Amino acid sequence: MRVLVAMSGGVDSSVAAALLAEQGHDLVGVTFHLWDAQGEDKVGRCCAPEDRDDARRTAEHIGFPHYVIDERAAFRSHVVEPFLDSYLGGTTPAPCVACNQHVKVTRLIELADRFGCDVVATGHYARVESSEDGTARLLRGRDLHKDQSYFLYGVPQRVLERLRFPLGDLTKDRTRAEGVRLGVPNAQKPDSQELCFVPDGDVGGFVERERQVSQRGEVRDREGQLVGEHQGIYRFTVGQRRGLGLGGGPARYVLRVLPEDNTVVVGEDGDLFARQCETTSVAWCGPAPEAPFEAQVRVRYRHAPAAARVIPTARGFVAEFAEPQRAITPGQAAVVYRGDEVVGGGIIA
Amino acid sequence: MRQASEAAWANPSSIHRAGRAAKALVERARVAVAGSIGAQAADVIFAGGGTEACNLAVLGLAHDLPPDSEILTTEVEHPAVERALQSLQARGVRLRRLPLPGGRAPAREVFAGWLEERTRLAVIQWVNHETGSILPVEAYAQACAERGIPLVVDASQAYGKLPVDVARLGASAVVLTSSKIGGPTGASALWLERCRELAPLIHGGAQERGRRPGTPDVLALVGFGAAAAQVPARLTAMQGLAPLRDSLEQAAQAAGGHVNGAAGPRVATVTNVSFRGWRGEILVAALDLEGLCASSGAACSSGLGAPSPVLTAMYPEAPWRAESALRLSLGPTTQPHEITHASEILRRVLARAPAP
Repeated sequence: MRVLVAMSGGVDSSVAAALLAEQGHDLVGVTFHLWDAQGEDKVGRCCAPEDRDDARRTAEHIGFPHYVIDERAAFRSHVVEPFLDSYLGGTTPAPCVACNQHVKVTRLIELADRFGCDVVATGHYARVESSEDGTARLLRGRDLHKDQSYFLYGVPQRVLERLRFPLGDLTKDRTRAEGVRLGVPNAQKPDSQELCFVPDGDVGGFVERERQVSQRGEVRDREGQLVGEHQGIYRFTVGQRRGLGLGGGPARYVLRVLPEDNTVVVGEDGDLFARQCETTSVAWCGPAPEAPFEAQVRVRYRHAPAAARVIPTARGFVAEFAEPQRAITPGQAAVVYRGDEVVGGGIIA
Repeated sequence: MRQASEAAWANPSSIHRAGRAAKALVERARVAVAGSIGAQAADVIFAGGGTEACNLAVLGLAHDLPPDSEILTTEVEHPAVERALQSLQARGVRLRRLPLPGGRAPAREVFAGWLEERTRLAVIQWVNHETGSILPVEAYAQACAERGIPLVVDASQAYGKLPVDVARLGASAVVLTSSKIGGPTGASALWLERCRELAPLIHGGAQERGRRPGTPDVLALVGFGAAAAQVPARLTAMQGLAPLRDSLEQAAQAAGGHVNGAAGPRVATVTNVSFRGWRGEILVAALDLEGLCASSGAACSSGLGAPSPVLTAMYPEAPWRAESALRLSLGPTTQPHEITHASEILRRVLARAPAP
């Protein structure tokens, strides 16, 4: 069976490829060229030429064909432009969700068809299992610290059936150890932690350059009192404390970002907690549920799933949490789990 | 080349025995290259790869052009010529580019109409590197000579496919490359009309009479010379290629392809076909997986990620052609069974995603 392996140049995807080769599969490696890295900190993050070269060296070491495919246009229109729109609209986007679903997985499946590959493998920490009736179920990776199922909630059934995750049962430490054992050239390379397309993590600067904006505005408290000034609403996300420049007094955090007024509303820690969230742009892994059900919901990647009652609505769903959750942020993905299984998800309104 | 590596490892500029042996081999190669184009060895300058020879010809002849000069070229030149010419624009030199719609080159009278008072140099390819389109460079050379305008002919893709004779051609400079005639990469030649001045690109010793200093790659030049000696046999073999190319081209068309560059005469060694709904680089990869090696655009520009500028120029109203082009090349050793096999691979791969 011919397997298309997506390779970013990072340790995870390189080890995934090495494991598949060890199992005797016929591999084709692909690295997407998604973005042109600029700025000082070019090495060791996605999309620097060095990363494409790391993928190529792994393929050469193991002995399978490797191609670099230019998807910069798709990345720009499906990930970067919506990212900028979201920040300017006062929300905080989850670009890794958009990228995984609309660029990576979509384009990989299309490539698999054109290359005559039956399945696509990636280095995600996630699992796919077949249930008795043959449907594919998306599950959390065994290493809950690294679990990346959050980013894959919207992948449709017919695609899930063709995905393989060789690292799904491994921990990160075990992955590196396997990399060393299999002689993967970049097994010791550090992970990239930040957004792959924002140089030096400076989102505010990125938004200003890309959209040619620079908008100072007001910071107000919940009563509407003016308490300070901000340098652009796109520099803030719900729950953020730094960058407000508010001086002494009790710690204050961003509660809401109001693009219409170009205003950031701040409050105290207690004000950040909410019992429910509503989502739109929903995708369900199986048939759309009609009745409310009990589940666990993550409202951002770095969030342990919290018990909630999920109520399907016309637009998506409402999640009513058993305990109040801190800093629920419009623009982030809310992903619904039943135990380890991903049921679906949507974008927080 | 193997023999040369044992006998001639030394620096050909050295006057000791080993150096003289190396020099003899270089000069023998020069005679072979010159002989293959009806030229004198003294007028052949050796350089590194074809890109270097193109740069040497363009920049070497344009070095003292006055700022308001014009240079006439085409819209479909190889990047080694196009980019070298573009670098002159910083000095105020203006470039004018002849179009080749659908691959059809303008006739002599039209070409002559593009030569202005301010035209000081013309740089034209003989055969296009992507479609194989043939340009009437002999006729262009006559038009240039009548007006005293030097013409550089990039013969990289013509050499070994069409007979090249510098006297008949009538140009001022001709670029030849080794790798296009079955020789090693990294060796090329610039034939230059006697007494035409050339500013060197590289500064150093006195090799090549100061026009291209630097210790040469003796082994590559030996290989170039050996390939040059085979050019007559190669030209003979070329005659049998047209039916093979046509058969392959028909198979590509049957699989949904649209031929590029067929509006004018072409050499028989290449077919350039576009497949709507496929991206060129993806089609190349898919074919590679099945054992068929092909190109999309020029190999030199495949790292650039942009659709073929040659096809964009030849078909401005059909950008899908440039985005989805596939180039397949044949050579003197190509056999009918290879054409059959390649046709079958094309059919099978293209069936995976039929045209929209």
